[in-house]
Amino acid sequence: MKNKFWFVPGLFSSLLFVTGCSKDPLQNLTPEESRIYTTSYDSSANFQDYKTFSIADSVAVIDNGVVVKQHSASDEAYLNAMQNMMEQRGYLLVDKNQSPDIAIAVNRVYNTTTGFFDYGDYWDYYGGYWDPYYWGYGGYGYNVPFVFGVYQITEGLYSIDMFDLKNATTNQEINLLWNGLVRGEGVFNVSTATEAVNALFAQSPYLNTTH
Amino acid sequence: MLLISNLVKAQTTSKEGELKLHLNYQYGIPLGDFKNDMISNGSARGYSGSLMYQISPKWAAGISAGYQSFLQKYPRAVYETGDHEATSAVLTNSVEITPLMATGLFTPLAENGKILQPYISAGFGVNMLSFRQYLGEFGGADNKATLIAQGGAGLQITFGKAKESGFSIGANYQYVPYQRNGYGNMNNLGLQAGLYFPLK
Repeated sequence: MKNKFWFVPGLFSSLLFVTGCSKDPLQNLTPEESRIYTTSYDSSANFQDYKTFSIADSVAVIDNGVVVKQHSASDEAYLNAMQNMMEQRGYLLVDKNQSPDIAIAVNRVYNTTTGFFDYGDYWDYYGGYWDPYYWGYGGYGYNVPFVFGVYQITEGLYSIDMFDLKNATTNQEINLLWNGLVRGEGVFNVSTATEAVNALFAQSPYLNTTH
Repeated sequence: MLLISNLVKAQTTSKEGELKLHLNYQYGIPLGDFKNDMISNGSARGYSGSLMYQISPKWAAGISAGYQSFLQKYPRAVYETGDHEATSAVLTNSVEITPLMATGLFTPLAENGKILQPYISAGFGVNMLSFRQYLGEFGGADNKATLIAQGGAGLQITFGKAKESGFSIGANYQYVPYQRNGYGNMNNLGLQAGLYFPLK
């Protein structure tokens, strides 16, 4: 007898194929597209009033609250890129002993978050996956008192800060003037530094001065 | 085409008590605020299916389910992300619409036995909505159940001696209410093509 529904399996297979075509937004991103550049600033500051800057000669690596000073190739690239962009915007590089108006610090930050996998009913039905009889202990149950799933995700980023040294004495504190964050894939690559710092300055047109 | 169809006649196209399965491939087109604010591109990633009970030769009622995804990646731009805060990023919006609806189907010329049968349809139900938004690789999801209403029209092209099965082409307007973070309804138009056939 001819089966008039011969095409149904094919149709359902097609539907499953279409469902499988659902795109994962993150899989379509290149490393460059994955990166974001965020800037924030003190809106009360007039950046024209600042003329000179000094930049720290190393980078503070803040790894889950533990701080060490380092100077890797990518750190060097970020420090150089910051110096170049500041000079392009009219600021004069001076030694930190020459009373700079702005202090620049570059920081490499690692933040690790920990979570737990949700196994659902995995252990509740374990006897269904591996009947204790299989091991020669039919009638026994499994006791799983300690197993849990832990995952860790570490995100790394560059955080670049500008501090107000010009008014530190008056204010009796060193105020943050500007912060730039570089996050995403490849932020620790030397080749990323110039592009990232250029992006931070491109969205900070107020960062300029004249002598 | 209509002239030819008028020349071709056969027996009834649908019988009372018949259960029919409709399967459609769907191309979704965002409309209104959805198009202007979130996703402007159409999407070929969609399908729908309906199980319809024939109440009379002209009227059928049943349930329908579907899936339509939309995805758009916008070139890098600078967005205001806070007070005196700006973020340069590639913005990606992803929307998945998965409705489950009670559906009615009206085929006004069903009793004339012609090959081409216009139809109109309407549906109302719930929708599992997934809206994901990313700046670069950083983002989040808003998954929620919403109401959904749908109205459609199209043409059925019957085949076989009994004219109980056929191809169909048509369009559905979906009203998908949504209000959050300045974004509005995700209304869209679905262009459909598919098959229908009786299950018994």
